[in-house]
Amino acid sequence: MSDQFSGRMGLIFAAIGAAIGTGNIWRFPRMVGANEGGTFLIPWLFFLFAWSIPLVIAEFALGKRSRTGTIGTFRIFAGKRFAWMGLWTAWISTAIGFYYAVVSGWCLKYFQLGFSNGLVGESVDTQLVWNEFLKSPGTVIFFQFLVVAITLLAIWKGAKAIEKVNVILMISLFALLFMSLGLSLWMDMSDGRLDGFLFMFTVEWSSLSEPSIWINGLSQSAWSCSAGMGMAITYAVYMRKDEDTTLNAFTMGLANNSISIIAGLTVLSAIFAVSSDPLETVTGGSSAITFLALPEVFAQAPGGAVGAWVMMTGFFLALSFAALTSMISTVELCVRNFVDHGFEREKSVLFTSISIFIFGLPSAFLWISIAPDGTAFPQFLEVQDHIWGYGLMFSGLFIAYTIWMYGFKKWRSEVEAGTAPGGFSGYLGVGVSAFRDDFINTGDNDIWIGRWWDILMYAAFPVLFSVLIISYFGDMIANTPNVWDPGNPHGITIILLFWGVVAGGFIALNKKLIQRPLYRNIPEGADADISMLPGGSDDLVSDTNEKLLVAIIED
Amino acid sequence: MVMMEFKSRKGSLAILLLPFLLSLFSPLGSGYVEPFPLEDDNEPEDIWSYDYRNHVFPWGGDANMQFQEYHSYETMKSRMMRVAADNPNIMEFHEGLNGGTNARGQETSIDQYEGWFYGYASPWLKITGNVQGGTYNEFVGDNGNYQNKPDVMIVGNHHAREWMSYETPLLVMETIAWYYGKGPTDNDGDGLIDEDPWGDADGDGQVDDDGDCLSLNESLRDSNGDGKDCNPGDLGVDEDFSEVELTNLINSREIYLIPMLNVDGNIYDREVFCPAPAWETCPSGGWRKNLRDNTFTGSTPFPDLGEEVDEDCDGVDLNRNYQFEWGAPLGATGPLIPGTCSPSEGELDGTNNDVYNGPVDDTDNDGDFQINEDHVDGKDDDADGLVDEDWWGGNSEPETKFIQDLTEMNDDDGDGASDFKATLTYHSYSELVLYPWGHCNNCQSPDHDQLVYHGDQMAEMTDYTNMQSSDLYPTSGDFCDWHYGVHGSYCYTMEIGTAFHQHEDDVAHIAVRNLGVAFYMAEISDNPRERADLEMTNVVKDQVLQTPDEVSIPPLGSIPIEMCLDHAFSIDYRPHRSHVMYRMVKPLRTQSDYGPAEWYSEPWEHVGFELVEGQSCDLLNGTGLGYTVVANVPIGDTENGKLHYKSMISTLGGTQKIEYPPNSQYYELEIDYRAPYGTLFGSMMLFLLVATFVWGGLGVCLRLMMTDQENLSELAATSEVLDAMIEEDSD
Repeated sequence: MSDQFSGRMGLIFAAIGAAIGTGNIWRFPRMVGANEGGTFLIPWLFFLFAWSIPLVIAEFALGKRSRTGTIGTFRIFAGKRFAWMGLWTAWISTAIGFYYAVVSGWCLKYFQLGFSNGLVGESVDTQLVWNEFLKSPGTVIFFQFLVVAITLLAIWKGAKAIEKVNVILMISLFALLFMSLGLSLWMDMSDGRLDGFLFMFTVEWSSLSEPSIWINGLSQSAWSCSAGMGMAITYAVYMRKDEDTTLNAFTMGLANNSISIIAGLTVLSAIFAVSSDPLETVTGGSSAITFLALPEVFAQAPGGAVGAWVMMTGFFLALSFAALTSMISTVELCVRNFVDHGFEREKSVLFTSISIFIFGLPSAFLWISIAPDGTAFPQFLEVQDHIWGYGLMFSGLFIAYTIWMYGFKKWRSEVEAGTAPGGFSGYLGVGVSAFRDDFINTGDNDIWIGRWWDILMYAAFPVLFSVLIISYFGDMIANTPNVWDPGNPHGITIILLFWGVVAGGFIALNKKLIQRPLYRNIPEGADADISMLPGGSDDLVSDTNEKLLVAIIED
Repeated sequence: MVMMEFKSRKGSLAILLLPFLLSLFSPLGSGYVEPFPLEDDNEPEDIWSYDYRNHVFPWGGDANMQFQEYHSYETMKSRMMRVAADNPNIMEFHEGLNGGTNARGQETSIDQYEGWFYGYASPWLKITGNVQGGTYNEFVGDNGNYQNKPDVMIVGNHHAREWMSYETPLLVMETIAWYYGKGPTDNDGDGLIDEDPWGDADGDGQVDDDGDCLSLNESLRDSNGDGKDCNPGDLGVDEDFSEVELTNLINSREIYLIPMLNVDGNIYDREVFCPAPAWETCPSGGWRKNLRDNTFTGSTPFPDLGEEVDEDCDGVDLNRNYQFEWGAPLGATGPLIPGTCSPSEGELDGTNNDVYNGPVDDTDNDGDFQINEDHVDGKDDDADGLVDEDWWGGNSEPETKFIQDLTEMNDDDGDGASDFKATLTYHSYSELVLYPWGHCNNCQSPDHDQLVYHGDQMAEMTDYTNMQSSDLYPTSGDFCDWHYGVHGSYCYTMEIGTAFHQHEDDVAHIAVRNLGVAFYMAEISDNPRERADLEMTNVVKDQVLQTPDEVSIPPLGSIPIEMCLDHAFSIDYRPHRSHVMYRMVKPLRTQSDYGPAEWYSEPWEHVGFELVEGQSCDLLNGTGLGYTVVANVPIGDTENGKLHYKSMISTLGGTQKIEYPPNSQYYELEIDYRAPYGTLFGSMMLFLLVATFVWGGLGVCLRLMMTDQENLSELAATSEVLDAMIEEDSD
């Protein structure tokens, strides 16, 4: 019995669900605000096509062929020595999941508060509500537990269940968002000026030359599409053989951006309609602002108490849904890797969920501090975010590396076989396009991917990665006091130390990892012969169907 | 096999969990320090860093560099050279002067500034921002001479045995070298920055501005053991000054730091006269003068064959040797017959006198065939139209000549007058601040009130007593009388500490106690008289810069920031002299998420003031009406963020850059976005563009999915896309 999505829409809903998270709904509006409004949309849109979609195409193609999670994919495509890269990718996503469950719990709590009218009224001080909530570990942990439990239930049975839950969640999300959008546009329009709309769609041409806007556009696009996170690899495992990966990638990216625009317009319109200094509200605040500013905004919704209730409940429910779907994919990504290595699905789901809950506990209640403006913030959680959030950049680079490796090996073997020319021009001709020829343009795809994809993967990608990481560290060195102090949780030394220890540990673990058998999840009719793939020489790689046999031998 | 499997899995799990366990501990090592608890009965370790409470200076080094023992001439000089080499942008090391034709038309050379006996010239440092720039002074030999930078001279160790008087200037040097160019720093490790500058900065009558010393358990408040709680020199008093202010000061002043003027005497005192430890062998005495060989050059009947120092006869008191009112026979300190050395014992006659003022100069200085006919006293004694042109004596020693020529040859603006408008000399001991005059009883200088004013400020910083020099005891020919009398320089003598050879355990806290004085003198060196006038009449205090609440932000264009000035304050409108300093800052993600960050590295921009015609304004404290000046800060209406601003104003009289608000603070004004957010047409265009790409693209994709259940050829797909697009457009 193997898992498979029943139809294309199921897969798409699942992938969109993974990609749409709080990043679209909170991070995107904030980025628009901090980066000169409409100016930001240009790099953001540019990088959707130049970065996120090509990367997701690569991930889909990799996962669809390897039929394993991240570890197996890297083991098969990049080679045995690089299985740790898959472990890194999986670890980053799971480590983010530790605290993401806590954040999702906040969303649920705010839905509950909105539902019970706990956020509306003269006597309500949103800051006080937030501070009190954050400082009561029992409540925070309860909602964190709820999130993990819902996720566990949704994911218990595999792709089919994920699919159903996702479809329900996503459709509800769309409906709720559209409702919120209508309300906030109406609020914004009530003074005769669509300030929020004007702000979001007006380009400040002079700011377009600022590198930070481009860097932020890139990171926003990649993060909100989950490009480079291994999510697409995981979901591709459940694809049918003839699934069109390129169309799926385009759909997923475009759907994600569509939601971002709707969410952005909703939030910005609402804030511009109500706040006396909307730019400051949008740009100056910390990440807690979702829970501080928006309730105040929604409380002023038209229609009195009913309007406020609808807006508040709708928005935070949508936010909870977005968070839950991302949570599901995070757990699934981890579970997939366990299943690949011969563990039972149910046990893996249970183990992963419990781990995520337990390891998320410190983020829920440790080091709750008060910022100078009086707002409580979870310092431990932010340190986690700081360290693991930026580790994502490497996951993207590893995926590109895998594709370079595949191309190079393929070209070398063809040169040895005498079917391809040697030298640099030979490499350019055969090696560079090998992955695209073999796995992307398979004939199942509606959208044919041209040479531009190779150029992006081989040339633009490393350049952009370098720019991103240099600007990130440069910014950090310039703006963080005591940046080299290893005791500074926001410094460079600690982040390098953590990355170094993790990568070092994983590299050390690599030997053990590749001694384990790896089971590929190949749905019926999706026969992907291992001999066609670079990992074909690995005796320990086998199909799920052969599992029983191998298990007997092992015993 | 099974066992091994089990073991290896356990190991794998450990590696998997390691990063998480690591991250658990990360905030434990955080560098963040909680501000000290503001309650009584603190212990020093509740408040300060280990280094600060143990008197460990941040520049490290051995006991010598840490002011736990005295420098010798050699260790001092090598340290000065080292510091200058390490800070070539602000410090230049020198010894003596190059020489040439001095201001009096005399030919001099390097060796004339070298001590008589050991042959060393006084080492000194030229300190200013960009010390390699500016003009080169051929006579003095220093670079970094700027017309617009006021000059200040700080001299230590006129008297050989007064060891604290050169240790304190060395602490000044170390302080500048370490803190110059640093951002706001937490000097004492209490989690606060620049919270306790020198003196009583907040005007509450308490020098411990941040109250950390006062929060100690009562028994711990007198760390220097002088019997007074929380006064200067105690831990926690004036311990955290503004590094930015110090840096600005160094950049805008030329400091001539001469820690040890009397090298000859100092070496002799240390190596011969008072064997170590000096505070035991010479508890209340020691060698005072330089090492002029009076038996050779003087008038004793016996030639000094061995060239040994004759303790009974040799040496000149350098601080009696300056030319102003030199040798004025006040009786108390002058020799009976100036310029003579008699071998007879006795306190007051001959050169064995510890205050021997040097030989009489019987040359005809002006070539009119008369001698000593116009004594240096600022008057035309012989009514020939020339003042002080034929002196009786004084400035006869290499050390005083060095001071004389450095003073008179330092004239960057070429106006014929010395550039030193402020001068400071450290002596010990008595815990006094002394101002001129010294040579006359019951007399007052023309600048008496102003001199008292600045003296009071420094007395407050040090908890010393401010008095006129002659009220202690009359002296003639001292450094300050000469500087003030001849060159009009505001000159102070700090009598620091409680002994000539202070115990070495006391070096650090006494030097710390007297550190701020040097920077105070540097600050007022632009125009000490005017500064005193403006401050004595409360002009400085009553003038006001608009606070953020008072600034009215116009709906469009630049932001006017006004100042209300006293009519007694004649502002210099030139933008480089008087201006509003401003910068726009925007919190970044890291800053907004992780708390406030200091903005000191953000550069300031300047905009000048202009007069608002016919508009009067209220000065503070109900002191009447002033005139309004305004600076239009060019902040566009599309900018938003926080506007930091402060003003620096100078007078036509040369007082430079009085800051509002004081102590390196600045105001922060929230600036909202004021312009329209955009046009409807433009935003509709972008909206349509984005909508076409994103929603249109999504529509195409979804349509492809719905219709395309079978494999389609590439061509067909393309035509699908086109069809879909056409349909989209027609929608």
